Amino acid sequence: MQRIFQMDGEETDCWLGHDGSRFVLNTPTGAVACQLDPTGLPGGYTLRAKGVVRELRLAVGPEATFVHMDGRTYEVGRVDPAERLAGSDGGASDDRLVAPMPGVVVSVAVKPGDAVEEGQPLLVIESMKLETTLTAPRDGVVAEMPFAEGDSFGLKDILAQLAPEEE
Amino acid sequence: MRRIESLIDTNAADYKANYAAMSERLKEFHARQHAARFERPQRDIDRLARQNKLGVRERLKLLLDPGTPFLEFSTLAACREYDGTVPGAAVVTGIGIVQGREVAIHANDASVKGGAWYPHTVKKVVRLLDVALENRLPVIHICDSAGGFLPLQHGVFPDRYLGGRVFRNQVKLSQANIPQIAVVGGHCTAGGAYVPTLSDYNIIIEGTGAIFLGGPPLVKAATGEEVGVQELGGAVMHTSVSGTGDYRAATEKHAFSLAREIVGQWKRTPKTIIETAAYEEPYYDPKELYGIIPKDRKTQFDMREVLARIVDGSRFHEYQPDYGTTMVCGFAHIWGYKVGILANNGVLFNDSSLKAAHFMQLCNQNRTPLVFFQNITGYMVGREYEERGIAKDGAKMLMAQGGSVVPKFTVIANASYGAGNYGMCGRAWDARTLFMWPQAEIGVMGADQAANTMADVKIRQLQREGKELTEEEIAAIREPVLEKYKRDVEAYTSTSELWDDGILDPADTRNALGMSISASLNAPIDDPHYGIFRL
Repeated sequence: MQRIFQMDGEETDCWLGHDGSRFVLNTPTGAVACQLDPTGLPGGYTLRAKGVVRELRLAVGPEATFVHMDGRTYEVGRVDPAERLAGSDGGASDDRLVAPMPGVVVSVAVKPGDAVEEGQPLLVIESMKLETTLTAPRDGVVAEMPFAEGDSFGLKDILAQLAPEEE
Repeated sequence: MRRIESLIDTNAADYKANYAAMSERLKEFHARQHAARFERPQRDIDRLARQNKLGVRERLKLLLDPGTPFLEFSTLAACREYDGTVPGAAVVTGIGIVQGREVAIHANDASVKGGAWYPHTVKKVVRLLDVALENRLPVIHICDSAGGFLPLQHGVFPDRYLGGRVFRNQVKLSQANIPQIAVVGGHCTAGGAYVPTLSDYNIIIEGTGAIFLGGPPLVKAATGEEVGVQELGGAVMHTSVSGTGDYRAATEKHAFSLAREIVGQWKRTPKTIIETAAYEEPYYDPKELYGIIPKDRKTQFDMREVLARIVDGSRFHEYQPDYGTTMVCGFAHIWGYKVGILANNGVLFNDSSLKAAHFMQLCNQNRTPLVFFQNITGYMVGREYEERGIAKDGAKMLMAQGGSVVPKFTVIANASYGAGNYGMCGRAWDARTLFMWPQAEIGVMGADQAANTMADVKIRQLQREGKELTEEEIAAIREPVLEKYKRDVEAYTSTSELWDDGILDPADTRNALGMSISASLNAPIDDPHYGIFRL
């Protein structure tokens, strides 16, 4: 897979290779032979590509590289492909909180009818000496809280239910 | 490798409360550590000055390369024994840098009981020599000891891992071609005489250093012969007459410059090569760990938030992120060294155990060292899980973990209960180093459960005898049991007993691991091989 770069907000896929005698930049529109030689000035280089010769200055930072050429500065950032291509995380969220293991309810923070925000604590459960806070998977309205403080529950019991999302 | 996205809100009330609680604990910890290292009764300080000896910390300063780190082990060993009168178990051990080389250091602290060997002293020294053997680290002994503490000789001398093991380990080190130097800056009497004599090189400091099987009083009692310390076993006699000593040093400074010169001329063996990346500080501040570790041990927290404050660049490649989610597995770098990390995000279920076993096999295949972050209350119990074979899946995890050939390192970050401690490379499982955070607990089960179980047995026994117990009477039985158990599971008990290599300020964990990993690469890594996995 080619690398993904972000240049002034636009993404480009490319890959720098070597054909045995010179560097070749492989781009979606074809391969371009190119050459970069230091000029001796700090960060100064001479770029040769497609018969064009340009003087430029490079500043390399942790997040992006800045290219100063023809009186303009271009910001070139590298995009992590695994991150970029992961898509939306998790897909559609569930309306229900299902017990990850059997246990006891320690406390309940909300009641049916309450409006909740994603990540807001709904109830605290205890199992195997461990207290876990279960939070709302999305913004919504609480439909059911089937267990009260002190109640025991089994594996995969529904511990909280949000009202269906209106489209 | 991608950066972990932290969801921690450093302005949240919980975070601030946790931070305050941890800061309080750390204030106590640092004060205790400072006391164990430096605070001594005036008469002991005066005695050392009178004997014209330097303290152990000044000696280490002369020995070690300036500006390099010293990873000191078990600073609070024996802190809950002998009424707290033997700080550090009267010995300093650790890994330090001499002439650019990693070495293991064993130094008697003569400001504590004349450097006598207590049971915990022996345990600490044997552990250090085990570290040297496992990691193939040269050893520098700084000898200045009154000898075994006689009133407790049964805890110092006879058993397999007591006094004799010190010398046995010295022999094994020599056999494995790992060099040792002894700097004799005090008396080495009886068994202690074998520390310098089993070392490849030894240096005796004139006037203060001496080696003999029996000191002048013992000789007088045994044979009637009257002889002074210097004639019997001083530097001049041993380096010119008996050949027991190799070098005579005029002063302490001279002795340590000689020791450094000797280390400098040793043959360097290349270290084991593992995958590395350019060093990067964590993106998130390690001090934020104080606000992440809940003040109530029972409260669950996300180990990824912890890892984000330990590993290089806070970057973590998570393995099987959606399977067996109570076991977080993945790759990261520490000090540039590639490691495989296993961290608990809850109880171990069947799937989490299998995931851990598979991941450890991957790491062994790749020669990737393993780092365990324990917050484990155990393997899941109950009919459903027994039917799914939780015991045999746990066995697979133990087989993969115990059979690992790559170096392993363990941090007990919070809870370490029951078989979970085993699966996650507890003390019995040969972690190259094992550290504990100050609020962590270790025991066969949680304090409440244990106290209830023990109290219930007693209550039932009394009931069988026909006694009716009131609520108050039951509480009176349970309370002292609970109190004692709570103390027994504390990090200070663990570190006092040398069940770990020391308590760490969580913010120092990254450096302790970095040094441990670097030291471990002095030993080769074997080809992977295992026992039988119960499938």
